[in-house]
Amino acid sequence: MTVPFLEVEGLTKSFGGLRAVNDVKFRMEQKEVLGLIGPNGAGKTTLLRLLTGILKPDSGSVRFKGKELVGHKLWDIVNMGVACTFQNMRPFRRLPIIANVMVSCLSPRSMGRGEWVKVVEAKAMDALEFAGISDMALEKASTLSQGDLKRLEVARAVATDPELLLLDEPFGGLSPAETELMAKSIRRLHKGGRFGRLHSEGPAMIIVEHKLQQLMKIVDRIVVLNFGTLLAEGTPEEVVNNPRVIEAYLGQQGGQ
Amino acid sequence: MTMISPAVQLKRLVTLVRTEVLVLPSRVIVAMFVLALLGLPLVSQNPYLIRVIILTSVFAILAASWDLLSGFTGQMNFGHALFFGMGAYTSALLNIHFAIPPWGSVPMGALAAVLTGLIVGIPCLRLRGTYLALTTMAFPIILMGIVFALPDLTGGELGISGLQRLSNSLVGNYYIYVVTMLVLSAVMWKITDSHTGIIFHAIREDELAVRASGINTTRYKLMAFCLSGFFAGISGGMYAHYMRIAGPSTLEVSMSFSVVIWAVFGGLATIYGPIAAVFVLFPFLEFVRFWPEYRTMIFAVVVLLILLYMPEGIVHWARDKMEKECPRCKIRNVATRKSCRVCTALLD
Repeated sequence: MTVPFLEVEGLTKSFGGLRAVNDVKFRMEQKEVLGLIGPNGAGKTTLLRLLTGILKPDSGSVRFKGKELVGHKLWDIVNMGVACTFQNMRPFRRLPIIANVMVSCLSPRSMGRGEWVKVVEAKAMDALEFAGISDMALEKASTLSQGDLKRLEVARAVATDPELLLLDEPFGGLSPAETELMAKSIRRLHKGGRFGRLHSEGPAMIIVEHKLQQLMKIVDRIVVLNFGTLLAEGTPEEVVNNPRVIEAYLGQQGGQ
Repeated sequence: MTMISPAVQLKRLVTLVRTEVLVLPSRVIVAMFVLALLGLPLVSQNPYLIRVIILTSVFAILAASWDLLSGFTGQMNFGHALFFGMGAYTSALLNIHFAIPPWGSVPMGALAAVLTGLIVGIPCLRLRGTYLALTTMAFPIILMGIVFALPDLTGGELGISGLQRLSNSLVGNYYIYVVTMLVLSAVMWKITDSHTGIIFHAIREDELAVRASGINTTRYKLMAFCLSGFFAGISGGMYAHYMRIAGPSTLEVSMSFSVVIWAVFGGLATIYGPIAAVFVLFPFLEFVRFWPEYRTMIFAVVVLLILLYMPEGIVHWARDKMEKECPRCKIRNVATRKSCRVCTALLD
């Protein structure tokens, strides 16, 4: 019997009386790209935060390659190979951009992988190169634009050499051109390969996103959340044509 | 390996000084400061002057150690006197009751302060901001309570007196204190300039993001507490051995606050800022001694004015006046230069 790559079962989290995530259950294969969508307040970000251990679930389990993630600290989970980005970017504003990424490169996981990379600075530079902001490496992070901050978030996550990457609204607040660039980077990352000294095996990804058109081009499968519960699951075509999903997004048609 | 002749080595040294030190006014000032400190006894052996500089050195270590913890990782410690007093009392007790010479008792005092750092650090891990400041402020008060509760061991209000000095000669003592200060400052600066320093900076900026980068922030925060305790403990031990007494004044709240004032005055998260501040403020306080009734007030006014007009501290202010950062390669240049000395980009 093969161990599933990621297995989420009965995950529940309440804030006071509000069930933000209610008995969510799904599985994910290695190398798969999973889209996570749902109307505002559906619990998408909460679900990601439960997966990475930023929040502790009330009940349920998350197994990553057979190992239970619930109860571990955030940094342990990152070192097991699950990296995440933040929806509202959290750069170290007063540090140069390269130092932002070097912190990730200094994590035990990143230091232990890729023996040919002993120089943290070089590896951080390659992560920036991959994200397309290497020309601003010495600028302070506070000078970056919205789009570049998103890229910095991705560079930081990639620098930990993840096997599963959780992206929280990678296209949020980006212009159409920037969105296109970001989508390209994500596809390139998923394909895997070497970016300078940075070696990517093509991590699996869970992408939370509102820009469905762009998302559809990247993902293999979509999971839809509504009011914290799993509404639908399937390929992008199936999900788009699912009447329950349309209802959740647009509301019930009157008079029926 | 081939031997390099002394002449070549000397030439390399001269080149290094010319290309790395003489190019920046701030580095020239640091070099001149070090040389002046080391050369002072050759010019004057005034015991009062020597005493002031020895005490300044002790407090410079203390202020820099506070900066290492609070300036870098952002965990505001308003009870730094705890480490200072712990170092002072431990080395005093060891020196008096076990007859351990100062070169043994000072490091032991520092180790005791490291242990204290662990004990204080663990409950403080979950606290932030005001709560952390209040909690840390309580610890030296608690230790002072213990000191007063055990007068047989600690001497109560009188403290433990009759300690041995590190050296019995005036100049010998001077060199021990000044060289220790220079070496420890260099070590602290090197720590903050390393990868560990980057993680400390990042923890101050956003702790959750550091965790999301796979760094065990608990370990680094405790490490900052212990390192800071170590250096503050050394300064405490050396203070006790110089004054020949370890008393409750080392644990006073005013001691904790002086450290914060020095560090903020000099510039946070720099290490050299607090050192510069102590070397400005401490002798200044001695200088206005001839006007005793207004001493504290003058001190307060000076600190207020500096903080009002140079909120980043004197070191940053002075450096920005003398030097410009290259917009392209971020290397610092003398303010009078038209183009960057490394990448030749135009400076505006």
